[in-house]
Amino acid sequence: MRQALAGAGGYIALTLLPLAFGSLADYYAEILTVVAVFAILAVSIDLVVGLAGQITLGHAAFFAVGAYGSAILTTRYGWPHLAAAAAAAAAASLVAYVVGRAVLHLRGYYLAMATLGLTGVVYTLLIGLRELAGGAAGMGGIPHLRIFGFVLDDPLHYYAVVLAVAVLVVCVCRRIARSAYGRALIAIHGDEETATALGIRVAQYKINVFVFAAALASIAGTLFAHHLRFIAPDDFTIGQSIHILVMAFLGGIGTVFGPVLGAVVLQLLPEFSHHFKDYQTLSTGLVLMLVLAFFPGGLYGLLRMLLARIPRAGRAGAPAAAD
Amino acid sequence: MGARLPEISVLLQVAFGGLTMGAVYGILAVSLLMVYRVSKIICFAQGEFFVIGGLALATLTEQAGLPLWAAIPVVLLGAALLGLAIERGAISPVQRSGIGIVITMTIALSIALQGLALPIWGRQAHTVAPFVVAAPVEVLGAFVSAQVLIVIGTAVAVYVLLWLFFTRTTLGLAMRAAAQAPVGAQLVGISVRKLNRIGWASGVALGALAGMVVAPVIFLTYASGTMPMVKAFIAMAIGGLGSTAGALVGGFLVGTLEAYTIGFLSSEFADAIVFGVLILFLLVRPTGVFAASDKGGM
Repeated sequence: MRQALAGAGGYIALTLLPLAFGSLADYYAEILTVVAVFAILAVSIDLVVGLAGQITLGHAAFFAVGAYGSAILTTRYGWPHLAAAAAAAAAASLVAYVVGRAVLHLRGYYLAMATLGLTGVVYTLLIGLRELAGGAAGMGGIPHLRIFGFVLDDPLHYYAVVLAVAVLVVCVCRRIARSAYGRALIAIHGDEETATALGIRVAQYKINVFVFAAALASIAGTLFAHHLRFIAPDDFTIGQSIHILVMAFLGGIGTVFGPVLGAVVLQLLPEFSHHFKDYQTLSTGLVLMLVLAFFPGGLYGLLRMLLARIPRAGRAGAPAAAD
Repeated sequence: MGARLPEISVLLQVAFGGLTMGAVYGILAVSLLMVYRVSKIICFAQGEFFVIGGLALATLTEQAGLPLWAAIPVVLLGAALLGLAIERGAISPVQRSGIGIVITMTIALSIALQGLALPIWGRQAHTVAPFVVAAPVEVLGAFVSAQVLIVIGTAVAVYVLLWLFFTRTTLGLAMRAAAQAPVGAQLVGISVRKLNRIGWASGVALGALAGMVVAPVIFLTYASGTMPMVKAFIAMAIGGLGSTAGALVGGFLVGTLEAYTIGFLSSEFADAIVFGVLILFLLVRPTGVFAASDKGGM
């Protein structure tokens, strides 16, 4: 109950956050919308990477299926937006199921490379399918999201909706992580043989979580497409898959909140460092290397460690304050 | 049937193109293998070593005006030192962590190296003058440039040298022993740490070598390393993840498949088709064509 209240309060505060920027409210709402989209991506990849321990570089492919699926169905065929989103998510799940059946029994490098290959295939298909997907130039004219008759053409309104979806995804993923299901995934992460011996159907669990994460990535894609209203293959490269994976690791894998933090930091950083544009890639790489080598818990782990110290310091200081 | 077989000269011309890129993928696959053999790590930054090797050669020969015979060893030495630094600074801190952390560390390395190359070489493409000035040779109506012969010759030379190293030298034998049975190798007094360092130094240097020999044939930018790395991995997987000969043959297969796909099917879908073949391949034969290589990687 307290948590639900805190969550609701947090949601309202975040929804109103852009208003703090006054006349720049719309601009910041748009930036934060993209942050929320990437938070969904990072949290969903964390289910596969952080919980189940499977390194996937295929997330940009499912992101693309959602974005292009919604874009094509709504602009070319006039589908209702929610139906298009559902169809795209179903398509992404199907792709994930077929590919997952093929590659999830592979471990480590094979899985990483095969999913990297999947992103490569989808990217080349987007460029190649000129008539359907607009080719390298991308496709524009995607309408504002329209649900139940409401057209979300105000950046603040659309941000509130995307943020709500993101918060919902975080809550669901947190539930999953703490459920028996999540603990089974963690067992698979630890040691597949032991998990099998404990009666966990490893293959089934891995494929389920892979498919679920793909559906979430597709939803993120739908929200992304209706936000920018113009999408191009360059948003769905191998680099994008890596970017999403980096968010999860930077924030702290397996923690649900960590990847959200990673998404916020990596998406907001460029906003404050225009001048160092050419050095951004270098600093991302170096920071990630440092995190992996010295703080495997990521930024979230670091934050928790620091927070755990503060109360103790407070307690130590309390008697002094009393007299 | 309406489709006519293309002329032999066209088929040959495409084949030469395929063999050239195949040789490059082959050398890169061998460079991945040098690291993998001892450390069991596949480095996702291998494409960056390839790119930086080519770009460094471009700078040394075109801007600094160094002759080729001096520039190539300088780049090779620099790459070997980089390999040692990576082993020390990036890999050994995470060696005991899970495979996921190790994979991500090499991805982080690849991001950092791309980020390093961007301010140095910018976004534009660079190329190097051909190593020797000679008129192309005509073979059955197809033309072969001297550089193509150099690329393919380098792949063959790499194979011969590694074969000699692994069969004739104590160090090479130790490396095969350590690849086969790390604990047993340590028991008989082989320093696996030392072999790790040699693996990284030679792996990074070989990656740079692939970039250097192909630099006169293709355009290199700071970001063009990813696809060659993935294709080299495909070559290595086809070769069975443990065999030098398998990796080279796998490289030639991937290069030829790619060239014929671009030449006769579609240049846009070439990458998709090469990846599709990999996924099929992993399904049907996850251990590779040259599987069951228990000879410690020759």
